[in-house]
Amino acid sequence: MHVYVDRAKCDNHGQCTFSAPTVFRLDDTGVLQFDENPDDSLRADVDEAADVCPMQAIMVND
Amino acid sequence: MSLEIDVPYLDISDPSFSMHSEAVRNAREQHWYAKTNYGFAILRHEYVSILLKDTRLIQGSGKWPDHNGVHTGLFHDWWTTCLLVLEGDDHHRIRRMLNPAFSFRHIESYVPRCESLAVELVDAIIEKGEFEFVNDFAEPYATRVLCILTGIPESEWSTIARISSSIGLALGITIKNDLAEIEAALAELYGYAESLIADRQANPRDDLVTRLVDANRDGDSLSDDELRNALCLLIFGGMDTTRNQLGLGMQTMMRNPDQWELLAKHPELARNAVEEVMRSNPTTTWVTREAMVDFDWEDLHAPAGSTVHFFTQVSGNDPEAYPNPGIDITAERAPHYGFGGGMHHCLGHFVARMDMAIALRTLSQRMTNIRLNGQDEWMPDSGNTGPVRLPLAFDTR
Repeated sequence: MHVYVDRAKCDNHGQCTFSAPTVFRLDDTGVLQFDENPDDSLRADVDEAADVCPMQAIMVND
Repeated sequence: MSLEIDVPYLDISDPSFSMHSEAVRNAREQHWYAKTNYGFAILRHEYVSILLKDTRLIQGSGKWPDHNGVHTGLFHDWWTTCLLVLEGDDHHRIRRMLNPAFSFRHIESYVPRCESLAVELVDAIIEKGEFEFVNDFAEPYATRVLCILTGIPESEWSTIARISSSIGLALGITIKNDLAEIEAALAELYGYAESLIADRQANPRDDLVTRLVDANRDGDSLSDDELRNALCLLIFGGMDTTRNQLGLGMQTMMRNPDQWELLAKHPELARNAVEEVMRSNPTTTWVTREAMVDFDWEDLHAPAGSTVHFFTQVSGNDPEAYPNPGIDITAERAPHYGFGGGMHHCLGHFVARMDMAIALRTLSQRMTNIRLNGQDEWMPDSGNTGPVRLPLAFDTR
């Protein structure tokens, strides 16, 4: 699985960190950091993160 | 050489205080924050964008009942345990289970029913050439959307609207005097929520309440009380805000008739029109936070416990972030904070974005030359604002 975040859209609200906390996190300065190639077992959580993102900035591919 | 910074002061509890005043614009030009009689107000977009998400500044409304002499009872217990004011792990756990039911994908499935509702309400007044926007459109529309979403029969919308406005008294400084009415309304709303939950537990459907009943993460699920509290917050938080924001949207569009005509010709711009309205003329003109610890940022020192307001209308019209702040529904803009931000970002924003876009689109396709038709009446423009009464006349198209 490949995760892509459109940085022009992402506004660092951090809602994705609730859905998939091992893939998405906010660093000490509040900026989103994420694992671009998480394990496929996390697919449901990552899809959920993309679906709930207020800015719709997350894309997930196989 | 030390630099003396002259920090502006705003008396935001003065009844004549206005977000749209020269004094506020001057303060924003002078400095990125102001001191206020409550604490501090963040004025510039750049700083609102960063600090609104800082977790050292926690949601500032939790102690509202206690600050106003309400220390026990149904309202106190609901308010102090609902998602809006929770922090840390308690907040994250509940938010995680609520978020998916409010996702873009799920909320989009309500588009056809909201479209039919908007058409029905416009059909009812289109021949008259005039209407009172709040009573004839915004309030029934906002409330019936919530009925559609929750599965409450739409025929009961006026009861729900009454309940919601009674609970809304709790946000006023007269909360203690109004407590009997507030608690009676909340008890009534609990009744609606509890029967919906019991029904969907017995008879699951493809709807929002069923998704909340079924919400389950890592073996955890929402208790019946948590579910009831969340449903009540959804109804309470979703109605007044949408009704008020629609009224502000009409105000913005009446001041910019070229944009209304553009929307009528290009209905695909409706979602962007909602963003422009919320950026420039939001119902939530400030978002409240409280410093959990002593909070320092550049020259700002906010002692633990102090109130920090984020001025969304002021930051949404900040010329540094929006060099051409006039209304342009085709513009790509920096994000606004009309839905708040960070971990407390509005849960129902996809609902609001969807239903308000449908409302503005439907109205613009049927009405033109919209003008004031009698005396309008408005809430104060700080905190949560909007029209109380907005009589309008229009030509049909």
